Amino acid sequence: MTALMERLERHRWVWSALGVLLLWAVLAITTGRFSLHSLSGVAISASFLTLVALGQMLVVTTGRGNIDLSIASVLTLSAYASIVVAAGSDARLPLALAAVLGIGLVTGLANALLVVVLRIPAIIATLATGYILATATLIANRWAAGFSMSPFLKTLAAGRVEGVPLMLVIALIAVALAGLLLGRTVYGRRLSAVGQNERAAALAGIRTGRVVTGAFLASALLAALTGMLLGAYVGGAFLEMGQPYLLQSLGAVVLGGSLIFGGSSTALGTLCGSFLLILIVTTMQIAGLPAGTQDIVQGLVVIAVLALAGGRAVRRRRAAPKPEAVAP
Amino acid sequence: MMTAVFPAAQDTPAARAGVSAPLRRSPPATGMDPGAPHPPVVRLSGICKAFGPTRANDGIDLMVAPGEVLGLVGGNGAGKSTLMRVLCGVTRADAGSLQIRGVDIAPDLYDTALAQAGGIRIVHQELSLCDNLSVAENFFLEAPEAARALPGWRRIFRARARAALDEVFPDHGISVDARVAHLAIGQRQMVEIARAVATPQVRLVILDEPTSSLGLERSRQLRAFIKARTREGLAFIFISHKLQEVVDIAHRVLVLRNGRSVWSGPAVEASVEALVQAMGGPAEGVMLSRRAARPAIGEGARERVRLSGALIAPLGRDVVLRAGEVVGLAGLEGSGQRDLLHALHGRPGSGISRAGKASFVSGDRQKEGVFPLWSVLANIALGRLESRAPLGRVDDGQERDAARAAAEKLKLDPARFDSPILDLSGGNQQKALVARALVGEAETILFDDPTRGVDVAAKEDFYALIGSVARAGRLVIWHSTEDIEFLECDRVLVFSGGRIVRELVGTAITEKAIVDASFAGTGALERDATAGARGPLDRLVDLAPFASLAAVFALMAWVNPLTVSMFGLELLLGPAIALVLVALAQMFVVGGSEIDLGVGAFAGLVNVLSATLLFDTPWLGVAALLASVLAYGLIGATIQLRRIPAIVVTLGASFIWLGLGYTLQPTPGGAAPEWLSAAFAWTLADVPATLILIAVAAIIALAIDRSPFGVVLRGFGNNAQAMTLGGWSPLRYAILRYMLASLFALAAGLSLTAINTASDINAGGPFTLISVAAVVMGGCALIGGMISPLGVVAGALTLALVGALLGALGVSTDYNAAVQGCLLLSMLALRALADRREARR
Repeated sequence: MTALMERLERHRWVWSALGVLLLWAVLAITTGRFSLHSLSGVAISASFLTLVALGQMLVVTTGRGNIDLSIASVLTLSAYASIVVAAGSDARLPLALAAVLGIGLVTGLANALLVVVLRIPAIIATLATGYILATATLIANRWAAGFSMSPFLKTLAAGRVEGVPLMLVIALIAVALAGLLLGRTVYGRRLSAVGQNERAAALAGIRTGRVVTGAFLASALLAALTGMLLGAYVGGAFLEMGQPYLLQSLGAVVLGGSLIFGGSSTALGTLCGSFLLILIVTTMQIAGLPAGTQDIVQGLVVIAVLALAGGRAVRRRRAAPKPEAVAP
Repeated sequence: MMTAVFPAAQDTPAARAGVSAPLRRSPPATGMDPGAPHPPVVRLSGICKAFGPTRANDGIDLMVAPGEVLGLVGGNGAGKSTLMRVLCGVTRADAGSLQIRGVDIAPDLYDTALAQAGGIRIVHQELSLCDNLSVAENFFLEAPEAARALPGWRRIFRARARAALDEVFPDHGISVDARVAHLAIGQRQMVEIARAVATPQVRLVILDEPTSSLGLERSRQLRAFIKARTREGLAFIFISHKLQEVVDIAHRVLVLRNGRSVWSGPAVEASVEALVQAMGGPAEGVMLSRRAARPAIGEGARERVRLSGALIAPLGRDVVLRAGEVVGLAGLEGSGQRDLLHALHGRPGSGISRAGKASFVSGDRQKEGVFPLWSVLANIALGRLESRAPLGRVDDGQERDAARAAAEKLKLDPARFDSPILDLSGGNQQKALVARALVGEAETILFDDPTRGVDVAAKEDFYALIGSVARAGRLVIWHSTEDIEFLECDRVLVFSGGRIVRELVGTAITEKAIVDASFAGTGALERDATAGARGPLDRLVDLAPFASLAAVFALMAWVNPLTVSMFGLELLLGPAIALVLVALAQMFVVGGSEIDLGVGAFAGLVNVLSATLLFDTPWLGVAALLASVLAYGLIGATIQLRRIPAIVVTLGASFIWLGLGYTLQPTPGGAAPEWLSAAFAWTLADVPATLILIAVAAIIALAIDRSPFGVVLRGFGNNAQAMTLGGWSPLRYAILRYMLASLFALAAGLSLTAINTASDINAGGPFTLISVAAVVMGGCALIGGMISPLGVVAGALTLALVGALLGALGVSTDYNAAVQGCLLLSMLALRALADRREARR
């Protein structure tokens, strides 16, 4: 029994996976028409969320309550940028890609500079860069004349192979790569160390600034790429398109079982968390709940999951033999 | 041998007489008769406490009679601190019983509040002052009963602080109005001691290493004071590594070793040698012979570290440390040993140069050593990752082999590699950390008090290892707080006042020589006696929010002269009242070192509630508003109880507020209750209500901040752990803090309704970021504990004016968000740079 509990403790993604299965089963039974087709709609939405949430997860892993709040603005601005630059032709796609990667790179570096060099709390730094980007988006909004997509991008975002959405494949590859990065590489170890105990990590010879910078870069780049794909998928860009991803990316990370304190994250959990969250939203839509209520439920879910998970982390830390923490 | 430390020892015979007097006077107190006229102040029997596999306390008895000084000694990790935590109600014992003044106390009910009620006070070795508060305010936190929420309430605590400091440390030179952060470490220790003994109704004062940062004269004053107060019946528990001090001052001595009491008796029967032996501490002879047995260092050993410049000025020559050496860093605590270690580990410079890599092993395992979520193996293997490519693959098998080799040297059982690191005892955790340093390739290993909280056996393993590690070609630099450990070193550098004042080599290393040299320049510990005085530059920084407000206002007046009229003021500043109130709400949250991302949305929700429910069905509206304040308190409770980041909870909450608002009122609309509009629409001597209300809000916030309640809130923002140890409830104050913030945000929402005479759930959203900007601009520290209501109001008004100024200059409102974001970032950046310069100074 304790062995099982330990196993669950180590594989925290299981809970969100169970949640996905349960909710899906309930939906399938109650509506009676929850087809595989509608599930693939869920899968596409969840895939976009997964990409963004993986970046958020890396930032959360750096610990000290670090969160990237600029994600929403990066995503929106990138969607605009890719549409304006590509102007509906595949030939200009590399340019658009460069613009989008540029947005991600600059934002990520700016966030990292503010957090690492100036020691500004991540939440404030990213909130502020998000505001600045929001202005850029307003300006881009005036430029964006038409909504013509690059066909290739359109295929990538909305296409299917054997009925499987391409976006899902992209998301699964990203999850696998992120999982490898966290679990099997030197960077993953360093990231976890920094997130658990930054001071100890620095004393153990880890250049903590570089590690944190890497996480912010990855987060901004992933959000930027997602923005490009999402723009292609919905066939345009609009000012509020990034907004839902702010809370949802965080929600997916916590639901997936990554520790909000940092130091321990699971890419697979983030995938399951994304699916669970999107399923919850879909359920609410099917049930015909108004938008306001959907917001309330999402907020409550995040707080409730945190309250439960927070307690788990506290127990772990309390189990520590602590006499030396106070010994002379 | 250490008598030389205490020139006052000549009065020892007299002191001894005084010492034994209370014992003779009240022999029944030491007996077991509960009906005696003077029951013991406290009696602990059979105290047991285990942390995981470590039996920190294993059936310990302890008793202190009134007017008695109990010396408590034991090596690092013997269980002294755990026992004291049990005694102070911080830690609950697993077994054992407790009696205070002859009254049995149920162990499950015993907590810090009961301990304080019983007159027990502790002076921690790790200082527990709130350094953002003044000396007098810290005295208030210790004994708040006399405080009244009236202007001038500090007077009584200033008098108490001054009297206490004068009594214990004559000529202390500490200003009771100085912020503790501005005091030198020795002065802080003095304040802490004075604060404990000045508490009304105090019966037992526990002094945990009280003299670790005190100079010779201050130690003498403290001992004189203890003797004087014991005659009045105050009891002390005196914990010290300086055994001669214990033998001199104590009436009885209790020796702990590995969680058990091994010796207890009158101090007159104790000698330093006997105590050392009872503690099972490292025996001098063993250490010396171990050092003698090491092979000599080769002539051509490579130079690893060179120290020059100001650091070694008292020596007058460079110090060169070579491969193969064990070098100790000695001196009173805080004399510069740690600074050197950290300089050697980080980027050396300014007179310190290092060749090759260095790794660091700290004795403060929780804060600076272990990675709590990892196994022992992962903790060790981290040492091999240095200088590897970020995307390199980590191989479990290879790690295991490397770690096994290091663990063998340390006698750490490889079978425990897969246990979580926190399941190990302190000694084994420390071994894992040393193993981490060994698996790396660093040529220099820096040890920062590595045997802290480590049991005797693990210490022996460590000592045995040190020599072999060094002689295998590494340089070991070792800072210790136990002077006897330096006998293991080939060379010892003695620090005083931030400089190296002596270099001892080989047989010249004795505890006496180290102690003598440590005290050489202790004046430096208190040198900055005028600390706390604020320079003109500090005042200028304080004025910055007001100066920028004036500047923006002047610019505005220049663009549009109408600004200066009363009408212009009302037009410009009136609508800012909501922002001012939200900023004040945010300020109280930031004061607790948290940030509220939902405060703007909450103001929006109140806006909607007051323009719909409150307008249509007043009683329901009032109930809803009350419920929303309670909900805010609940958020505070959730954050505190579950220890989850406030930002995520408040971000989640912001969606709840928004959702509630949308549900109530999907599109902007509603109407303001008449009385509410009227409340914001009067004038007094031609000054419009909004301007007066802004001033009133500022004054209320200032009054709250200056009141005892505000001081407690700031105390929590600075040092929540110390506040909790001091008996303040973190839960209660978290709830109160959030409810206080919600009241200001509520007022902001009402003002929105009154001024806009309608509601929009999105009206409050933008306030969240601007409120943080205003708080930062107003001079509050985001790390908490430092708030400034007037500055925040000025900051909020400045930001409101900036928006108007952009409009007047014809800048599109699209740029508002970017301008606000840039303003916030530049202010934070400036603050960061200023802080860095201050730190360097």
